Amino acid sequence: MPLVASEFVSGFRLQTEWATLIAAAFFFGKIGAGLFLMSLFTGSWLGALLGLLIVLIGKGGAHLLYLGRPERFWRGLTKPGTSWVARGFWAMLIMMVAGAIFLALPPGSAGWWIAEVIAGISAFIVAIYDGFLLNASPSIPLWNTAMMPVLCLFYSLLGGTSLTLFLINFGLATVRIQEAFLSHMEIVLLITNLIAVGLYLISMTHATAAARKSLQLLVGGTYAVPFYGLAIGVGLVFTLLMAYFVGVAGGPGVVGLITAADLVGHYFIFFLLLRVGVYKPVLGQLTI
Amino acid sequence: MHLGMVIDLKRCVGCQACTVACKSENGTPPEVLFTKVLEQVAGEYPIIKKKFIPVLCNHCEDAPCVRVCPTGATHKREDGIVLVDHQKCIGCRACYVACPYKNRIFLQKGSLKKGYFGKQLTPFEQVKYPKWQEGVVVKCTFCVERVDQGLDPACVQTCPADARVFGDLSNPESKVSRLIRQRGGYQPLSEDNTEPSVYYLE
Repeated sequence: MPLVASEFVSGFRLQTEWATLIAAAFFFGKIGAGLFLMSLFTGSWLGALLGLLIVLIGKGGAHLLYLGRPERFWRGLTKPGTSWVARGFWAMLIMMVAGAIFLALPPGSAGWWIAEVIAGISAFIVAIYDGFLLNASPSIPLWNTAMMPVLCLFYSLLGGTSLTLFLINFGLATVRIQEAFLSHMEIVLLITNLIAVGLYLISMTHATAAARKSLQLLVGGTYAVPFYGLAIGVGLVFTLLMAYFVGVAGGPGVVGLITAADLVGHYFIFFLLLRVGVYKPVLGQLTI
Repeated sequence: MHLGMVIDLKRCVGCQACTVACKSENGTPPEVLFTKVLEQVAGEYPIIKKKFIPVLCNHCEDAPCVRVCPTGATHKREDGIVLVDHQKCIGCRACYVACPYKNRIFLQKGSLKKGYFGKQLTPFEQVKYPKWQEGVVVKCTFCVERVDQGLDPACVQTCPADARVFGDLSNPESKVSRLIRQRGGYQPLSEDNTEPSVYYLE
């Protein structure tokens, strides 16, 4: 049964509502939260501040631009009991407040420790809740998998590590961790992400017909070129080769290139996963 | 009480009278259809099978749209009807994406500025449009204003083939319950465990 475009024909249908802006919000949320978490780990004040700003301006801005009624955005806090949108909003809010307190207080004080823990936990939730949000939709089998939060976590940590290395190499941040350790961590995360994406795609080959339809679009259809070229090629393979063979020894230019390639891949993989979401036919397939 | 609908696919002739009646009752803008009849074709000429499938919001018992709504705008009444409070909706479209049946519509910015005959709204559209808001999600309400007056939804009332039956699913003696029991009514995409209140008969 093919994908249908006509509104009056039954069949598999593409999801069209969540695309560019939601992908941008997911992207900024994950790299911002990842950078914030890595900054807590490495002790980078500037990194933590940038992480907060990326989440606030990038993620918050993309969500506000997307909302049909942005003036009512505060209502999105109402139902955290059942809605991952509301939970994510709460996590963002707590991350902003606790993060700002953490940055403002003198390091080592009791308040600083408490703020660090709360901000860290909420940043972790911001990093992964997109995965739970997508996983919670039974409508699109490609997203309705427990692999989603895992992918979000690994991509978030990878983005955070790349950006931290970028800040260090451009002389914008000093950290208490050795740069070589972060460089190795980036390589391990790149390999982990490649494996995670591979496992996710393999799991979809055994999923429902709609998930397989999504998979066909992603790996062999309209979206195959950006998937192989940008999400996998530039985002993971090129980044891995550059990080492994050249890495931080290549200087700021190479680290900048690695970071840019990683971010391009990061944006496109989630953008493409949103674009290839396919709904099932309402009453299944008609047979003779 | 648990209100629901039974749709007899053997009776449906695909005339789209329900689609038009719904638009007439609700006065929705162009491209906004709360109910419609889908076509499904299988086989190759000359051995062809065609089926008409009327679709609408299924007012699910365990509605994903209610669960994912961050504001409580999408809510369920005691009688099982799922509604959207347009004053509370922020237009995040989480419900739109979560609905396995794709039966929700987002009213884009500017969609109420033009009618079926261009920018000049007809007197009918001028009367009906004020109840809608741009930037929110809308959907079938089972014609709640009619139901509250003891009437059937407009699509049920107008169906020339009596393919749609509306009633109380919790009453075992109601027509809908008997049809489901006697004819083996089934729910769409039952594997998603949303417990739709719309049943189909083959």
